[in-house]
Amino acid sequence: MSAPPTQAPLDRPALISALRARIARLERAGAAEALAARGEEVVPLSPAIDAALPWGGLPRAALHEVLAAEPGAAAGFAALVLARAGGTVLWIAPEPDAWPPGLARFGLSPAQLVLVRAPREQDALWAMEETLRCPAVGAALLVAGDLDLTAARRLQLAAEAGGVLGLLLRPDEDNAAPTAALTRWRIGAAPSGSRSPHDLGDPAWALDLLRCRGGKPATWRAAWHGDRLVTEDGAAARNAPARRRA
Amino acid sequence: MPLPLFAPLTAGSGEAAASPAGVQGAAPPGRAPQPQRRTLALLLPRLPVERLRRPGPVAVWAQRGARRVVVSVSAEASAAGLRAGQALADAQAILPEVVLVPEDPAGDAAALERLALWALRFTPLVGLVAEDGLILDITGVDHLFGGEAALREEVLGRLGRMGLTARGAVAGMAGTAVALVRGGWEGVLPTRQEAPAVAPLGLAALRLEPDLVGALQGLGLRDVGSVAAQPRAGLVRRFGAGLARALDEALGHAARPITPIRPPPEMAVARDFADPVVTREGIEAALAGLLDDLCRALREAGRGARRMLLRTHRVDGEVQDIAIGTGLATRDPKHLARLFQGKLDRLAPECGFERITLEAPRTDPLTGAQENLGTAGRTARQEELAQLLDRLSQRLPVWRLAPRASHWPERAMARADPFAPVAVPEGWAPRPRPVRLLRKPPALEVMAEVPDGPPFRLRLGRAWQRVLRAEGPERIEPEWWRDRPDRLPRDYYRVELESGARLWVCRAGPMGAEARWVLHGHLP
Repeated sequence: MSAPPTQAPLDRPALISALRARIARLERAGAAEALAARGEEVVPLSPAIDAALPWGGLPRAALHEVLAAEPGAAAGFAALVLARAGGTVLWIAPEPDAWPPGLARFGLSPAQLVLVRAPREQDALWAMEETLRCPAVGAALLVAGDLDLTAARRLQLAAEAGGVLGLLLRPDEDNAAPTAALTRWRIGAAPSGSRSPHDLGDPAWALDLLRCRGGKPATWRAAWHGDRLVTEDGAAARNAPARRRA
Repeated sequence: MPLPLFAPLTAGSGEAAASPAGVQGAAPPGRAPQPQRRTLALLLPRLPVERLRRPGPVAVWAQRGARRVVVSVSAEASAAGLRAGQALADAQAILPEVVLVPEDPAGDAAALERLALWALRFTPLVGLVAEDGLILDITGVDHLFGGEAALREEVLGRLGRMGLTARGAVAGMAGTAVALVRGGWEGVLPTRQEAPAVAPLGLAALRLEPDLVGALQGLGLRDVGSVAAQPRAGLVRRFGAGLARALDEALGHAARPITPIRPPPEMAVARDFADPVVTREGIEAALAGLLDDLCRALREAGRGARRMLLRTHRVDGEVQDIAIGTGLATRDPKHLARLFQGKLDRLAPECGFERITLEAPRTDPLTGAQENLGTAGRTARQEELAQLLDRLSQRLPVWRLAPRASHWPERAMARADPFAPVAVPEGWAPRPRPVRLLRKPPALEVMAEVPDGPPFRLRLGRAWQRVLRAEGPERIEPEWWRDRPDRLPRDYYRVELESGARLWVCRAGPMGAEARWVLHGHLP
C-alpha cells in the first residue's frame, strides 16, 4: 500500500463537495456532449478563487448570479467571465449598454458579442432560456430586476440542458430573494492600489461569494492586471466579514 | 389547320417539309418547343357596386366637374333603366328608391387587389388591368381544372358565388384576351384566330381615349377590323402611336406584358381543404405538411429559403399573409416551424381557410456540407447559432456592434447584422474605456479646485462624494465633417470616488461656470 492510512483524517467537507460535484456532473449528462466539445467544464477565474470553489472554477452548464454593488465593477467581472467562457456570447438586457471598447480589456471581442434588446421581462426570460438551451453559445448574460424562483429554476435547467454558462446581472439589494443559481456573487468596487492622485491604476474589485452550492462563502479583493485576475492574499481581506448576509 | 406563317420556312428545307410542321408550334428549329402562352382576362363591370353587398337597386355616383353622374349601377338598377354616365338627378327621377353611394376609388382598387390575391389560387401569375379587370396567365395550369373552358367556368362560378358579375375570355395573347372581354366576347379562343375574332368588336375593346374614339367614329371606323385595315403610317401620323400599339396588342401582333401583383415565388406549395381549417391545431398540421413538401423541393433544388410566406385564403375570399425571414439559407422544417409558431396568432380564420399556400420568395444556394475530420461539429454549431438568432430576431431586436473609425464615443460602434462576422482591426481599443456607455447620460454637479481642473468633488443623485483620483483630461473634438456645426469639444476625465466607484465623466462646453458635466459611462 503506497498510500498510508495515516492520511486518514479525512477532509470530510471537501470529500462531500467533490462527490456532490460528481453527482451534478452525472446529472448533466445531456450537456456532456456540448461540454466535451469545448474542452473544459469550468471557467477559471484566478488560482485563489478557483481553489475555494468546489468545482475548481466557475462551472459551465449552470446559472450564476451577480449582484452589482457597483455597475462598472460588476460589468467588468461579467465581461471577464463571458470572455473566458469563449464562443459567441449574448448580452440580453432591457436596454443593452455594454460597450465593446471597454469590454475588450477583459478579452471580450466585439466579434463574439451579440446584443439583444428585451424591454419586457417575459421576452427577456424567453430569450435567455432559448439561448441557454443552445449548445452553440458559450455564455449568456441577462440583466434582470427581480426574478422569482420558478423563472430562475427554469433558467438553471435550461443551462444544464444546453451546457451554457448563464449569468444573471442584478442590482444589489439587501433582501435579494433566494434563487436557483449555483453561486451568488456581490461585486463592488475597491479602492485601487495606485498611490498617485492622477493615476487610477488597475481596476480593483471586492468580490463577495455570498452563496455557493457545496462551498463556503468567501471574500476576496482582486485587481485586474493586464490579462490576469490577481487576488490579494491579505489576511485582512479574508477576515473582513461580509457587509451583509444574503 | 395550315399555318401560313411557317409555310415558307418548311418549304425551304426539304427534310423539314416531311415532318409535320404544326407539331413544332412557334418554336424555331433547334430549340426546345416553347409552350404556347394562354391567358384568361376577367372583367368585373359592376365591381364598385357589388363590392358593397347591398340588397336592392344601388348606384355609385361621382362628381365630374360641376355635374354629378352615375358611374356604376347594380343589376336591379340597370333593369330599371339606370346606366353609367347618367346625371344623378335623372337616376333619382327614374328610380326614387335607389340607394346612392358616393364613389370610393381607393376602396375599389383595394377590392380589386384582394380579388387578384384570391386569383393566385388558380395561377401564380396574376396582373391588374385598369380599374376593373384582371389578367391571369393560365399557361400550363388549365389541365388541373379540366381544361380551359372548365377553368373559365370555375373562375366565373366562384366569382358569381361571391356576388360579383364577371365576364371572362381565354386567348393566346394577353392583349387579345383583354380586348375580347372588353368588346363583349366571351369564351375560349383557339390560338391564331385573333384577327377574325377581334375584327368585329367595337372600339370599346381597345380602351382608347373618348375623344379618339369620337374622331375614329367620325371617320366611319366603327369596329377594330376597319381601323386595322387602314394604312398604318397614316393612322400613327394622325392619332399617335398609342392607337397602333393598342391595335397590335388586340390583334396579337405585339405582346402585352403582365405585371404580376406579387412576384411569382421561386418555389411554392399549396394545399386545399374540402373542410375549412379553423383550429390552431389544424393550421399547424397544415403548415407542417407544407413545410415538409417545400423543404423536400428545396433540397432537390439544392437551395435554402431566406424568406417564407404563408398565405391563407379564407372562405369569404380574404387573403392573409405571414412572412418570416432567416439569417442564413435554411431548409430545416423543424426550425422553420418554430419561426412561424409565434406568428400564427395573427391569423384570423373566422369561418375557416379553404386553401393555404407556402412560398419561398427568396432562396439562396445551399448545398449539403461535408464534415471534415478537423472541423467536425463546427458547421453544425454555426447552423445552430444561426437558428437561435433567427428565433430571437423574430421577436426582439438583435444586433452586433462593429468598430467604426471614429473617436466620438457615440459613433465608435455601429450596429451590424448579427449573422455577419464582425471584423476587429489590429490594435483596436488600446485606451481604457468604460464597459457601459450610458445612452442618456445623467447630469453631474462638479466642484473643481481651479476652473479648468479635474473634478474635486461631484454630486450624482443626492450625496456629494470626494474624488480620490482623476485622470485626464482627454479632449475629444467633434467630427466637423459629419456633425452639426455648433457641437462643442468634450473633456473626459476618469475619476475614482471614495467608494471605489470609477466613472467616466465629461465636461462639455466652455470651461468655467457654464460648463456642463455629465456621467457618460461606468469604468470597470
